Amino acid sequence: MQRLDRMFESSARSLAQRTSRRSFIGVLGQILTGSLLIPLLPIDRIHRAEAATAPEGSPGSAHKVPADAKGKSASKAYTEDQQSCDYWKYCAIDGFLCSCCGGSSHTCPPGTQQSVVSWIGTCHNPGDGRDYIVSYNDCCGKASCGNCNYCFRNERERPLYRLSRNNDVNWCMANTGSDYHCTVSVILGSAGS
Amino acid sequence: MNELTSSIALLGAMAAAGDAAHAGPAQDYALHCMGCHGATAQGVPGKVPPLAHSLVRFMNNADGRRYVLRVPGAANSMLSDAQLAAVLNWVVGQFDANELDSSTPQFAEQEVAANRRTPMADVLATRVAVLKEIAASGPVPATGY
Repeated sequence: MQRLDRMFESSARSLAQRTSRRSFIGVLGQILTGSLLIPLLPIDRIHRAEAATAPEGSPGSAHKVPADAKGKSASKAYTEDQQSCDYWKYCAIDGFLCSCCGGSSHTCPPGTQQSVVSWIGTCHNPGDGRDYIVSYNDCCGKASCGNCNYCFRNERERPLYRLSRNNDVNWCMANTGSDYHCTVSVILGSAGS
Repeated sequence: MNELTSSIALLGAMAAAGDAAHAGPAQDYALHCMGCHGATAQGVPGKVPPLAHSLVRFMNNADGRRYVLRVPGAANSMLSDAQLAAVLNWVVGQFDANELDSSTPQFAEQEVAANRRTPMADVLATRVAVLKEIAASGPVPATGY
């Protein structure tokens, strides 16, 4: 046992004589800087887009994203970040993303109730070139979430006199708790031409 | 969540049909009616009248048919006359086929055109009067709207 102690002691002393604390800090800095750059590497995240195009609640029915969509994944028009207002199925949203508020892009956060009435429209998915029917339901019963940016995308929105086509409306109006918290985007199916 | 599940199931069936064919009355229902009336046309109690077990009962009565074509949701919708007729017929066929009298005519484009542009000043009073008339001959649509 003493021999083992001596061996470790001598190797530790040898290491201490050969290297300085400054060099250790330098190496540590390189490692930390390198690990920060890893997310910037061109990693293929196309499988996440495939999962995102499936109608919620129906696992295994994911629509395939064509190979040529890979190029688009890096472009601004094909955002895969479901916490970004630019994500394709948020094309007509006006509100806070529930994916930033403890829920997901299509499920309400705990403690809130999905609105019983909603605005239903269509969004184009550049990943597979198809249009989808999307229901925008507000999540109700708690004060405004306020996390992430307020998303203000209003494709095909109509003025207030077209009430069912206007997203300035608080869709929590028919719920018992009518406080607005955030908005989910539920894909109901693909849209015909 | 149950409603969401049924929405997905309904739209799944619609999508299967819609892909091969075109954007028909099922999709028009989804985009123009379902947001308020719901996936199964059940409405929201006390807030949004149901179409299931109601529309067909209006359809079997002459004043009821006129009422349906003039209510704000139908008359002011962005659907054309032909599309509105098709959606109404689709709703009845989808949710109330068993109540549909074979002698009852389907809504036609001309009938929609002849009625939807006549404003209805008092929707509630008109509905009450029509319901009273329907009650004399059979089951009434949902009341309280």
